[in-house]
Amino acid sequence: MTKQLLNVVGQSVHRRDGMGHVTGRTTFVDDIQFRDMLYLKMVRSPVPHARIRGIDFSEAEKVPGFVRALTHRDVPKNIYTILCLIGVGPDEEPVLAEDRVLYKGEQIAAVVAESEEAAVEAASRVVVDLEELPAVFDVEEALKPDAPVLKPWGTNYFIYDYEYGQSNPCRKVRFGDVEKAFAEADYIVEGRYQMSPIEHAPTETTGCVVKPEPDGRYTVYTNTQALFFTLDNSALILNIPFNKLHFVGGTVGGGFGGKVDVIVEPIAILAAMKTGRPVKYVFSREEEMRCSSTRGAWRMYFKDGVMKDGRIIARKVTTYADAGAYNRHTPYAVTKHAANVAGPYSIPNVWIDAYCVYTNRQPGSAMRGFGVTPASFAVEVQMDRIAHTIGMDPWELRFINAYRNGDVRPHRKVVEDATLIETMKAAAQLVGKELPEHLLAMNSWDREGGHHG
Amino acid sequence: MKPKIVSFTLNGRPVDVMVRPMTTLQNVLRRQLELTATKAGCRQGSCGSCTVLVNGEPMAACLLPIEDVEGQEVLTLEGITPLHGLHPIQEAFFENFAVQCGYCTPGMIMVTKALLEREPRPDEATIREALSGNLCRCTGYQAIVQAVTDAADRLHGNGGVS
Amino acid sequence: MSVQNYYLPESLGEALELLARYGPDLLVIAGGTVAMPLINEGVSTPVQVMGLRRTGLDEMARSNGNVKIGATTTLTRLLEESPVPLLRTAARNTAAWTIRNMGTVGGNLFSPPPAGDVAVALLALDAEVTLTGSGGERVVPLARFWTGFMTNVMQADELVTAITLPVPTGKTAYIKYGRKQAHTPAVVTVAAHLVVEGGRVQQARLALGAVGPHPLRCPQAEAVLTGSELSEDAITEAAQTAAGECDPFTDAIASEWYRRKMVPVYVARALRQIAQEEAAS
Repeated sequence: MTKQLLNVVGQSVHRRDGMGHVTGRTTFVDDIQFRDMLYLKMVRSPVPHARIRGIDFSEAEKVPGFVRALTHRDVPKNIYTILCLIGVGPDEEPVLAEDRVLYKGEQIAAVVAESEEAAVEAASRVVVDLEELPAVFDVEEALKPDAPVLKPWGTNYFIYDYEYGQSNPCRKVRFGDVEKAFAEADYIVEGRYQMSPIEHAPTETTGCVVKPEPDGRYTVYTNTQALFFTLDNSALILNIPFNKLHFVGGTVGGGFGGKVDVIVEPIAILAAMKTGRPVKYVFSREEEMRCSSTRGAWRMYFKDGVMKDGRIIARKVTTYADAGAYNRHTPYAVTKHAANVAGPYSIPNVWIDAYCVYTNRQPGSAMRGFGVTPASFAVEVQMDRIAHTIGMDPWELRFINAYRNGDVRPHRKVVEDATLIETMKAAAQLVGKELPEHLLAMNSWDREGGHHG
Repeated sequence: MKPKIVSFTLNGRPVDVMVRPMTTLQNVLRRQLELTATKAGCRQGSCGSCTVLVNGEPMAACLLPIEDVEGQEVLTLEGITPLHGLHPIQEAFFENFAVQCGYCTPGMIMVTKALLEREPRPDEATIREALSGNLCRCTGYQAIVQAVTDAADRLHGNGGVS
Repeated sequence: MSVQNYYLPESLGEALELLARYGPDLLVIAGGTVAMPLINEGVSTPVQVMGLRRTGLDEMARSNGNVKIGATTTLTRLLEESPVPLLRTAARNTAAWTIRNMGTVGGNLFSPPPAGDVAVALLALDAEVTLTGSGGERVVPLARFWTGFMTNVMQADELVTAITLPVPTGKTAYIKYGRKQAHTPAVVTVAAHLVVEGGRVQQARLALGAVGPHPLRCPQAEAVLTGSELSEDAITEAAQTAAGECDPFTDAIASEWYRRKMVPVYVARALRQIAQEEAAS
């Protein structure tokens, strides 16, 4: 009866854009071109950390088809941070580098030309006078006193709660008393976990085309995953009213979080403003791989106090996100991480210090569950390690510790939507794992077992 | 650098293009002729999104100087799309949910066309090997392999399997 | 400056004339699978370019116990028509269909590591390279063709016109280890050719790819194998010896450390394949 009422649930629904995709008629950003369109190519840092002493465009200007170059002096509000829209500060990333570059591939100057070939050639002829500086590529190295300092405020970590007038070096969670619990625990289980950066590698590279319109507005065709976020940031960077920008998007040739940063649009809009002509700025594959944001690297240290019966009574975690050279979305990822790194388990005593650390690597940012993914990886490997240490079936360990509805999470959120036990039961069936009766009797609503009414 | 005229057959029709030396077939198709079904995912021959058929053989349009196709027959996705409806391979991709973001789809379909012309009934290993040069980052390979098998059925009947 | 001229000579003579005229200023491409990505990305900015697709240098012939492969024979043709099974295996392990339709056997000698998977097999088969220049032809053993990373013994007026190899008399094995099953750069590629008579290895040729500045032979490992009964001990010793003879590098595919670890593993697997075949015959 329910089935008759539902048009979509339980039905196979064809993709709205599927016909366009199989015929090749879908318009992706790089498919768009306009008469007298210009091409933008970026001059990038060849080294991970350097002081910029000067930029010489004289050879580039001689390339036939060269139209103009743009530097940070052309950008109205050059220093920005994407998350300013949700109150995160201070601004710290330049649209175009000023006196310093903090990662290999960082944008230094834009070259605009009549053809892509001319733009590539002109960009390659720009001479940047760099004084290379010592670089740091590891989160823990970056926090040592002798590490090169990357941020104007003098630290290599993000300051939390700056917007509330505080200056916390990390996102902290304090719940119960871990040290007391460690003293009572039958076992102490420690683990060190890390994840490397991962490039999203969308098949369609990041890009946009900007067209000046007769009414003074700019139409921005973009494959961003964050249309309004990008519109707002672009307007702030260019110091123009939001209504001067008309963003057209929605067709994304693969994103996975790699297209939520605001990188190509502001500078392409600026180039269109300065030249009065349509401008295309699309990453090459090399740029997508080497310069675009990645899933950030992460390192996590766990110390757990565990009882013989399998109850985890304390978890202490110190964790370091590698933001790379700039914030992008990592400060937010670390907050998500801190809320999740105790895992979907009810542990009465939890202590978490989660750092957002800067290094001279290409910036990390969003990617599929960013912040949570490294936490889940570490938590679940740690659970297996605990099970092995105390000689318990890893399924049983997870059932015993699984969070239940009504539990209070370490960050003080009351659980309302737990289904971990039910999910594990379903998973056990799928993999042919026979669960003992006392685990099958458990559910997410009643810690003592019994029936969900 | 004198522009020159290159003549070839594109989707069954003769075309003449005026090009600068060594312009890639990809740029001629996409920028000059505005036939953008042929994609540009890497321009390094790595992703397969620009695959076209040259004399029936799949080739990477990004690695092919246009002069090399002088007098040859080039087929792109536009060339197999009927005026109304879909080609059976396109139907199979659409019906089997073998499209997600759509960027790899044109290349996948062109390789499928070349494959099914050689092997009307490829097994799964053959399909996977044939498509190994075409990357799908939305990780939809299983549906794509199913679509190729289904396309074989649509083109050649289902071989008595009901 | 962008490309001024792209020549497509229709004969070897015409190609040699162009080469004589421009010398090292002429970029020679065949399938374009190595050069075009660099040109597209703006890394390489050639002014004069010559493509070899129409020179007719794509004959594959067998005579007097030799196989002669024209330099512009595509990898697809090598896969489908080579009389030497090892070369078919090597071709199947190189790139993907689309690229094999373009890439050539001659071009594979110029594919920088970790590419060059056919060249590794050619090296194990004791191939020779025919170089043709204004002064005529000369023949260089492939083992002496490379002098370093992307460097070789060729003169500026010479082209690779053919690769010749004796039809293998022994047993062969080829394993390419990459991060995926197909269309992947190699962590290490192993090609081996062993002549076993009366239970003993009479002749051994072992070649490695992706673990040095160019595909390389392993003379010390070959010496370990020669005269041995291809026992598990001999295989292990040869594999360890080969690990000491290579010069691996770090790239996006694998670290130097990992490549060095994998060399003995895959050399041993290749040799075991031959030992098992030998035992079965």
